Amino acid sequence: MLTLQIALYFALLSLVSVGGIPSVMPEMQRLVVDVQGWMSAAEFTQLFAIAQAAPGPNVLVTALIGWKVAGLAGGMVALAAFCAPAAALAYSIGGFWDRMRDAPWRKDFQRALVPITVGFIVSGGYVLATPQGPDWPSALIAVASAAALYATRLNPLWILSGGGVLGAALF
Amino acid sequence: MVEEKRWIAPADFAEVLALCQFLPGPNVGNVSVVLGRRWFGLRGAVVAFLGLMALPLVWVFGLALLYADFSSNPAVRAVVMGVGVAGGGLFVGTALKLARPLARKPWGVALAVGCFGVIALGRVSLFAVLPVAALLGWFAARRGLL
Repeated sequence: MLTLQIALYFALLSLVSVGGIPSVMPEMQRLVVDVQGWMSAAEFTQLFAIAQAAPGPNVLVTALIGWKVAGLAGGMVALAAFCAPAAALAYSIGGFWDRMRDAPWRKDFQRALVPITVGFIVSGGYVLATPQGPDWPSALIAVASAAALYATRLNPLWILSGGGVLGAALF
Repeated sequence: MVEEKRWIAPADFAEVLALCQFLPGPNVGNVSVVLGRRWFGLRGAVVAFLGLMALPLVWVFGLALLYADFSSNPAVRAVVMGVGVAGGGLFVGTALKLARPLARKPWGVALAVGCFGVIALGRVSLFAVLPVAALLGWFAARRGLL
């Protein structure tokens, strides 16, 4: 039953994930933590941390959340449910999108999605970085890593490691 | 694929990537599906996707199991929280890079800030926000404001 619920939630999330995983993190956290109470906000951020630190695409966080809620099967179902609808769309729309390359509506649409994606992704970052509400140590770590990514060419893995060191010192 | 195997031209790869960043869902997953299909049809799409995910999945579960053993240790938990918070910061940094073209578009900035306020602070569901925001963005884009 839980597994079914996860499948449904993640399949729906798949279809609104314009801009990928970061955009849907706020909604995923809202469903998993606020609505269902499957885990605490802190646990959600910790699972996200593991997915970020592990090599591989960041969608794998869906597998970890499913696993935490409903075991290994839940993890596989969550990953599949999140990927399949979007993959089916990519599969079917690829050719059509190519043909529409110069259509004005496609350009309008792409331009419209930029600010929306930006707002969604910043929301994802905020929600993940403030599991216990905004506090100084979290704000410091989050702002420092955002600045490091924006202003330097540092490999993100170094920035994550820096976050771990600061976490050990501040939390 | 572009540099070593020369299976696909750089410009072509960029075009596929652009499509997949715009489509919902995981970017790399979608790239694997579009390219796998192009070369080998449905079978190619499925194989490419599984190939991309299998090994990382083993890694991430391994790491999660390891952490489950140590999560009661406060020092370990502090490090992992730090990594998670830094990961949130990386999202913000990514968004700032994406937002560069909005610098001189006040309507775009307003839309982005509005989305943030409603979702992150107001905790409103994305399913409610996306249609409204997309409609507003569409009108603004058609009037040349974005």
